[in-house]
Amino acid sequence: MKMKLTDIVTNLDLEIKAGHDLLDREVTGGFVSDILSSVLTHAESGNIWVTYQRHLNIVPIAGAKEISGIIVVSGRQLDKETLEKADEEQIPILGTSMDAFQVVGKLYRMGIRGSDENV
Amino acid sequence: MRIKEVIEILKGKVICGKDSLNTEVKMACGCDLMSHVLAFIKHDNTLLLTGLTTSQAIYIADAVNIKAICFVRGKQPVEETIALAKERGMILIAVDIPMYEACGRLYQRGLVGCSEYEHKG
Amino acid sequence: MGGYIKEVSWGVPNMSTKAKVSPTKTQELAYEFKVKDAMTAEIISVSPKNTMDDVRKLLQNERISGLPVLDRGKLVGIISIDNFIDCIMSGRIDEIVENNMTTKVESLYSDEPLIHAISKFDKLGYGRFPVLEHETGKLVGVITKGDIIKCLLQKLEINYHMEEIQRYRASHIFEDIKSDKTTLTLNYKIKGGDYKHAGEQSGYLKVNLLRLGISPPVARRVIVASCEAEMNIIIFSKGGEISARVEEDRIRVNAIDNGPGIEDIKKAMQPGFSTAPDWVREMGFGAGMGLPNIENCADEMKIDSKPGEGTNLEFSVFMER
Repeated sequence: MKMKLTDIVTNLDLEIKAGHDLLDREVTGGFVSDILSSVLTHAESGNIWVTYQRHLNIVPIAGAKEISGIIVVSGRQLDKETLEKADEEQIPILGTSMDAFQVVGKLYRMGIRGSDENV
Repeated sequence: MRIKEVIEILKGKVICGKDSLNTEVKMACGCDLMSHVLAFIKHDNTLLLTGLTTSQAIYIADAVNIKAICFVRGKQPVEETIALAKERGMILIAVDIPMYEACGRLYQRGLVGCSEYEHKG
Repeated sequence: MGGYIKEVSWGVPNMSTKAKVSPTKTQELAYEFKVKDAMTAEIISVSPKNTMDDVRKLLQNERISGLPVLDRGKLVGIISIDNFIDCIMSGRIDEIVENNMTTKVESLYSDEPLIHAISKFDKLGYGRFPVLEHETGKLVGVITKGDIIKCLLQKLEINYHMEEIQRYRASHIFEDIKSDKTTLTLNYKIKGGDYKHAGEQSGYLKVNLLRLGISPPVARRVIVASCEAEMNIIIFSKGGEISARVEEDRIRVNAIDNGPGIEDIKKAMQPGFSTAPDWVREMGFGAGMGLPNIENCADEMKIDSKPGEGTNLEFSVFMER
């Protein structure tokens, strides 16, 4: 049974910053990176993307890779422009004060694996 | 958690520092952003997981007293990076799995992140 | 004895010895040791009746810049390259030392603390000083900057556990040390756009601070802040300098560059605000945490910056009592 964004939001107690009505999406796996080119190369469609980055570019990158949602860590604040763009492009953005390691750990515990698990 | 356990859990290879595998790490930080490393790593005994294999990673890690770095996703550091790490007595490990997997497995086995470590005190 | 130090292999204090060492060990040693501990007792000198040509030969052969003038064992003057040049300019090549020497001689006493010597070098800018014995006024040696450095190096080595690490070259540190009575300054040049070495100079600063006996927690805060400053210079400017002054109660660092200057300092202080280009962020830099991080690490901080006029960022970390 695939996990949905809404399960993740509940389990990790995340703050919904954008895409409030898109949380029914399924999550195919997890991906963590702060380097955009790495996301473009390795992330898979339907992944949940964990990142420290909060600038505008994360939205089009997520769109290009059909990311199901972005979790922005360490309490990083996003500006209005980025959040508006996220709503526009239909990319849910979730926030948390936890750091990336902890977020990934909890997602993993829920059963969400990395994109090339068998490597 | 000891470095040798980390290597076991992640099926990693030691690049240098094989005499120090009993070194203990109390928390881990997974990131590729150097300013993140500088801003958030506040304690010694932190394991850094990263994909950045250049000399900067060593200089910056050294600034915050990181003793062990784990390169993920099969990234191999160049000779210069290894030499700089050896000079500073650091341990370098390489694993094939992506950052997500590495963090997930370590967390399962009880290693915490920096913010959780600070809350626990 | 030469006037400068070439490659010196360096070491790093054993990091596991967390015992607190009093700050500025080098300063302590500079007070503890005397001029006679560092000087060279082998003296090359001339008499007042030697000719200027004799002086020329000695200056050339010994590759020095000056000679003490002794009259029956007593220091009566100094003859230097400058005197020699004056002599030639007025066509008096057959002259003797007596008529060309400087009679007002700056000298040091053999039992003076080394710190006085350091001070004098800094103030007067000479290459060497004759050393006199206090009681007799007899010339007993000569001291150069290089002599002081060699002496301090040897003494420091005795007080620390060292691992010889070949690549840590210390020569550049001492070329950049200036000292007056109570402070020591370490300077590091940063090349703009030199991402490959981002953090390298701060690493050298770290070695030096620990070597000077600065406590590890204090050194750490200075280094993290210095690293951020170094990265800013690399990302935004064509180059600059980081200058760390070890003062009585603090380490004061100035990071200076001739870059574009900061347009809105208040904005720049906000975590996450960055004017770094995207490709820089792809390398792992420019996340906008630099200035806020420096503010967190330092006890005092001030930025002097205007667009088009470069930036001078100064921060201080107080030493533990």
